Amino acid sequence: MSPVQKRILINKVALGFSTLSAVIALGFLFWILGVLMMKGIDALNWNIFVYEGSPPGYEDSGLKHALVGQLILVGLATLIGVPLGIMAGTYLSEYGKNSRLAHTIRDISDIMMSAPSIVIGAFVYAIIVMPMGHFSAWAGAIALAIIMIPIILRTTDDMLQLVPGTLREAAFALGAPKYKVIIDIVYRGAKAGILTGVLLGVARVAGETAPLLFTSFNDNFFTTDLNEAMPSLTVTMFNYAISPYDDWQQLGWAAAFILSMFILGLNIIGRLILLAGKRK
Amino acid sequence: MASIIDIKEECALQVRNFDFTYKGAPAPSLKKVTMPIAKNAVTALIGPSGCGKTTLLRAFNRMHDLYPGNTYEGEIEFEGRNILDPKEDLIHLRTKIGMIFQKPTAFPMSIFDNVAYGMRLQGIKNKSELNDRVEKALQDAALWKEVSDRLKNDANGLSGGQQQRLCIARAIAVEPEVLLFDEPTSALDPISTQGIEKLVIELKERVSIIIVTHNMQQAARVSDYTGFMYLGDLVELGHTEELFVTPKEKLTQEYITGKFG
Repeated sequence: MSPVQKRILINKVALGFSTLSAVIALGFLFWILGVLMMKGIDALNWNIFVYEGSPPGYEDSGLKHALVGQLILVGLATLIGVPLGIMAGTYLSEYGKNSRLAHTIRDISDIMMSAPSIVIGAFVYAIIVMPMGHFSAWAGAIALAIIMIPIILRTTDDMLQLVPGTLREAAFALGAPKYKVIIDIVYRGAKAGILTGVLLGVARVAGETAPLLFTSFNDNFFTTDLNEAMPSLTVTMFNYAISPYDDWQQLGWAAAFILSMFILGLNIIGRLILLAGKRK
Repeated sequence: MASIIDIKEECALQVRNFDFTYKGAPAPSLKKVTMPIAKNAVTALIGPSGCGKTTLLRAFNRMHDLYPGNTYEGEIEFEGRNILDPKEDLIHLRTKIGMIFQKPTAFPMSIFDNVAYGMRLQGIKNKSELNDRVEKALQDAALWKEVSDRLKNDANGLSGGQQQRLCIARAIAVEPEVLLFDEPTSALDPISTQGIEKLVIELKERVSIIIVTHNMQQAARVSDYTGFMYLGDLVELGHTEELFVTPKEKLTQEYITGKFG
C-alpha cells in the first residue's frame, strides 16, 4: 500500500468513527425526545390543566397545582435574579473593569455556575428554611435565583463589553453623564445579548429539581401562598415517576413533556433573538 | 527650539505649558506644549504616529478623565478659565467642546434620536423645537436631503460617510464653541472625505475647529493654521501656507518633504 493510499484509508476510518460518534450522541437525544413526545402527548388531556393533584385512582386529577407553582417559582426567581444579575454584570463591565474585585467576582461566579445545584438547595435550607421553620416558595425561588445570577451576570458582562468603547466616548463627548451612557447607549447596543442571557438563565433553572427538594419542597394541592411549601413540575414529576401507580406515572409523563417543551421553547427563542441581533 | 507664531486674532483656546503622562507610562506623552488656537479658524495637528497629536486633542474635552491614572499639568484656557481645573464641570465643558471620532459612532437608535440625543441631555423636550433643530443640524451637516424621508430608521443603516456626517450633525446640534476632529476621514472613501472636508471649512464660520490628521494634503486643504508635533513636542505652529511652503524648523521641513514619518 502506497503512503497516499494509507493516508486516504486512515482518513476514511477517522471520518467513519467521528460520524458514528455523532450519530450515537444525537441518537440518544432523539430517543429521549421521541419517547417523551409519544408518552407525553399520550398523557396530555384537558383535565391536566383543570384539576389539581389527588390520591391515586381518582378520575379528576391533574397538574394545575404544579404548573402554577412552577410558574410562580420560576417567575419569582426571575424577578430576584435578573435585576441582580444584570446590575452585577453592569458593575463588572462598566465600573469594575479589570480591577481585582471584578476579577474575583468573575472567578467566583464561574465557580458558582458549576456548583452542584443540590448544594445551593442545602445552603438555602440552612439560611432560610431552618430559621423560618418551614418550607416556602420564597426559599425555592431564592435557591433558583442564586443559580440564575452567575449565568446572567456573565452574559451581561460579556455582552456589554462587546459594545465598542468609542460609542461610550462619543456619548460622553456630547456631555452625557455616566448613568445615561450606560442606559441609553450601552444597554441599547447590547439588549439582544442581555435578553438571550436572561432567557437561557430562566431555561436553566426551570428544569432544576434538586434545589427545590429542600426549599419549596412539594405539595399535591393548589396554592399561591408564598410562605407555604409549593408544588413544582420538577419535584411533582419526580414523585409521580417513582410511584407505583399507573395514573400518577401518566401525569409524570405529561409533566415531563410540558416542562421540556417550555425549556426547549425558551432556548429556541433565546437563540433566535441572538441571531436576529447579529444579522442587523 | 519650537517656533510658535503669535496669533493676532482672538483665540478660542490657549494651551500653556501642558504636560501629559499616560497611566503607567515611563515618560510624558506631551512635554510643555504651549499653543494658541485661533477662533473661527481651522487648526490642523500633524505629525508621525505617536507624536501626541490625538493625546493633545483629547485633552481639550478632558476625554482622558474617563480613564483613571493619567496625569497632566499646565493650563488650557477656555472662555476665561482653566478647564484643567479639577472643579471644572465636565458635562458642561463637553457640550461646549464637541468631538468627532475616527470611526463613525452612530448610536443604536434612529437617525432623529441620534441628532436629538445631545439636546435631550440638555433637557430640551419641546417636540417642535427638537424637530426644528434636528432638521437644521442635518442641513448644516449636508445630510438632510438624503435622510429627510427616513428619520425614524436605524442610524446604523447609513453608509460610513453618512454616519460621519450624522455624528457632525449630532455634535453641532448642541451649538458648541469648539469642535475636535480626530482623523475624521481615515475610515472613509475619497468622495465622503471630500464632503467632510467641505463641511469642516463651512463650519468654521460658527465654531473653532481643531483637526488631527495623518494626511498632510488634508491639513493643507482645510486648515488656516497647522501645528507640527514630534515626540510629544509642538515643533512648529504657523499659518498653514507658510508652514508647508517655508517651514521655520528643520524637523518640520524633513517631515513635510517625506524624509521620515
